[in-house]
Amino acid sequence: MKPRLIGVRWTWLRRATQWVLLALFLWLFRHTENRGAPGVNAAANAIFRLDPLVAVSAMLAVKELVLSLWPALITVTLTLLLGRFFCGWVCPLGTLLDLTHRVLPRRRTAPNPRWRVAKFFLLGVVLVSAVAGFQLIGWLNPFSILVRGLTVAVDPALTWTLTAPFTWLLRHAPESVTNISEPIYAWLKVHVLAFSQTRFQWAWVSLGILLLVFALELVERRCWCRNLCPSGALLGWLGRFSWLRRLPGRVCGGCKAESDCGEDCRMGAFDSEKRFLSESCNLCMDCVVRCPSGAAQFRFKPAMKPAAPFEPSRRLFLVSLATGIAVPVAARASGAAHRMPSDLIRPPGARPEKEFLEACVRCGECMKVCVTNALQPVLFETGLSGTFSPRLVPRMGYCEYNCTLCSQVCPTGAIQRLPLAQKQKFVMGRAIFNKEICLPYAKGESCITCEEHCPLPEKAIQFREVETVRKATGERVVVKQPFTLLKLCIGCGLCVNKCPVEGTAGVKVVRADAVPLAVRKEYEQLEASIAPSPKGVTDPY
Amino acid sequence: MNHPLNEFACPFVNRRRFLREVATWTAGAAVAVPLFRIAPRAQAATSSPTLVVGKGTDYEALVAKVLEPIGGLAPFIKKGAKVVVKPNIAWDRTPEQAANTHPLVVKAMVKLCLAAGASKVMVFDRTCHKEQLTYVSSGIQKAVESIKDPRVSCTFVDDRKFVPVKIAKGKANTQWDFYKDALEADCYINVPIAKHHRLAGLTLGLKNIFGIIGGKRGELHKTLGQSIVDLNLVRPPTLTVIDATRILLRNGPTGGKLDDVKELHTLIVSTDTVAADAYATTLFGMKPDEIETTRLGAAMGLGEADLNKVKIVQV
Repeated sequence: MKPRLIGVRWTWLRRATQWVLLALFLWLFRHTENRGAPGVNAAANAIFRLDPLVAVSAMLAVKELVLSLWPALITVTLTLLLGRFFCGWVCPLGTLLDLTHRVLPRRRTAPNPRWRVAKFFLLGVVLVSAVAGFQLIGWLNPFSILVRGLTVAVDPALTWTLTAPFTWLLRHAPESVTNISEPIYAWLKVHVLAFSQTRFQWAWVSLGILLLVFALELVERRCWCRNLCPSGALLGWLGRFSWLRRLPGRVCGGCKAESDCGEDCRMGAFDSEKRFLSESCNLCMDCVVRCPSGAAQFRFKPAMKPAAPFEPSRRLFLVSLATGIAVPVAARASGAAHRMPSDLIRPPGARPEKEFLEACVRCGECMKVCVTNALQPVLFETGLSGTFSPRLVPRMGYCEYNCTLCSQVCPTGAIQRLPLAQKQKFVMGRAIFNKEICLPYAKGESCITCEEHCPLPEKAIQFREVETVRKATGERVVVKQPFTLLKLCIGCGLCVNKCPVEGTAGVKVVRADAVPLAVRKEYEQLEASIAPSPKGVTDPY
Repeated sequence: MNHPLNEFACPFVNRRRFLREVATWTAGAAVAVPLFRIAPRAQAATSSPTLVVGKGTDYEALVAKVLEPIGGLAPFIKKGAKVVVKPNIAWDRTPEQAANTHPLVVKAMVKLCLAAGASKVMVFDRTCHKEQLTYVSSGIQKAVESIKDPRVSCTFVDDRKFVPVKIAKGKANTQWDFYKDALEADCYINVPIAKHHRLAGLTLGLKNIFGIIGGKRGELHKTLGQSIVDLNLVRPPTLTVIDATRILLRNGPTGGKLDDVKELHTLIVSTDTVAADAYATTLFGMKPDEIETTRLGAAMGLGEADLNKVKIVQV
């Protein structure tokens, strides 16, 4: 008989592992940004690539092998060995839920089997829908929920909250105080705070979903993990075949402890007949540690059958299948589905729209890493199919010409990794001018800030000198009125971002296929009309 | 504010009062915006301004060589002075692309400031592209940090440190936000690069002030020439060193094509920024008064644009 590890050590080991991995996750989150280094940490999106459900749903949807998702095989292998250990030892959301539980009032409710099978229902819906080309994982993947919620809501709020007092002190306190507060702020800025204050539209939606997951702890301990998490459901199902098994396979009669394993289990891993459910167990080792008689233990017994039959019924399986087909059909049949706003710009290197939405798992990593805060989550602009996918909003941030960070962090290749030279030619959209707003056209004012900032070596914005009236003074002036060389413009949005007009800019980026024919013709004529003079100073050399 | 009044930094008498206003506004003790009410005065009231031009491929040696005829930095930096060296670090471009000041020129300037007895030398710029990219690709952050002196800092601009300043004699702009560290420096050394700029014609010494102002800089393009001059009234540089080691002839101020760059290995130094700009214009085959900013700067009394009235020293 193998000697059993002293009980307390398991708890300590599990908790230590949870803490360390949570710290690592948060450290990687904080370092999914750029402060001057040539790239971003290669492990930044590790948590997504470790999730087998992300891998399976992405590959099923795009119908391709995505090699970057190979780490999921590590998780699968270890799960087949050990069971659903990932949920108890590794998952950062799981660790945070455990921490939340400690601060909530203690209630004990009997686990409800009906809710328990919901996670398998959701797993089925996600998988079938993915096969049908409709990616639902972004709504239900624990890491998408966590990272996106942190990125768009928690982190910006935290940055603002921690910065505000120091800003107030800098503005209102004498030097004797700021000589102390400023070095503290400088330290926080390097080690704790994000590099810059970010802002995201629709942040409250992602925050709401994240908070809901935590609020469910009031219903049941690890409610999300027990009942809803489809990634956990997949791991749980794999865990039924694991080599590591729990003994005994049911709650002991005549248990000497205050409460038995069935009552105490944080995952509710015992059914109404007190049989052990291996698909629910996350190997927290609490029952082993608590057991007064040493009966509860885990052993390697690969041939052993699971103690209880697989809970989801055939009926549930069929309903899940049907729903997984119905959702994409309904979404595609709806009027909103074919909405594609002309100014909905995707990140540079994004796959064509259909494949993009199949591959994008709405993780929020690209939005986190974008140096200019340009990438923002979509809500219902494209119906339900695009919710939480990223779009480039030039008024909030532009695409830096020499940057490829978003493609480096995308775990599924929805944003393809292109060599820099190729990315610099990737057309995200085209800039077109609004003559009612653009100052030289609308007000006869001098400007061309847009032309000044165009990052292309051969500028995509040119201008025509036109005599007009300056509205503010009534005098006749000659102003430079800008237009776009559409064939060169890549739609980075820097022109829109720097346009000094308050509110709506005088220029906007539209999808390349959405440039009105009249505008295209006009710009072609303007290009022909400006004399082919040297575009700068006459070279005296 | 106990630093000695530096004659060259500011020939204007009530600078001390202005700095006191800045300090009290910053400490939240006053609501009134600091008012820079000083009238411009010709930089060289008694003698024509001196301008030094030098050529050489060893940029560190060249910087020292062009400063020699005006006595090095000793006339401008008293022992213990707080110095700001303000290069152009605005663009995510490499040194060869001639969009930012050459890192070796910046490094040489900083070292000379230290040698002259500065207690603090700050290098910064309010960038156009993202600062974490420009500071690296320009090579300036690395060059300055390689000096390894605790008195030197090359930091990002802190958005919280902009102070609104009223410009009493401003024609196009009567108020704008300025960076506190630049306002409070005992010595403000302006180190721009000479480049093509579609709207301004060329961007030279006077326009480099854009790196120490806040607000929406695009707004200033409506009256660019006059706005630049108005802003220079508040913080006229102690010394301007125009980096013409390589100049950008076309597609400025962003640049990006090496074909648009011309290597001249030249530096221009003067306490008169207008004169420096006027001379730099000639390097592009243009006449000084073709550049509106230079013309208006001379008209407002910021300096001398007529090169015949400038003492030009070639080294």
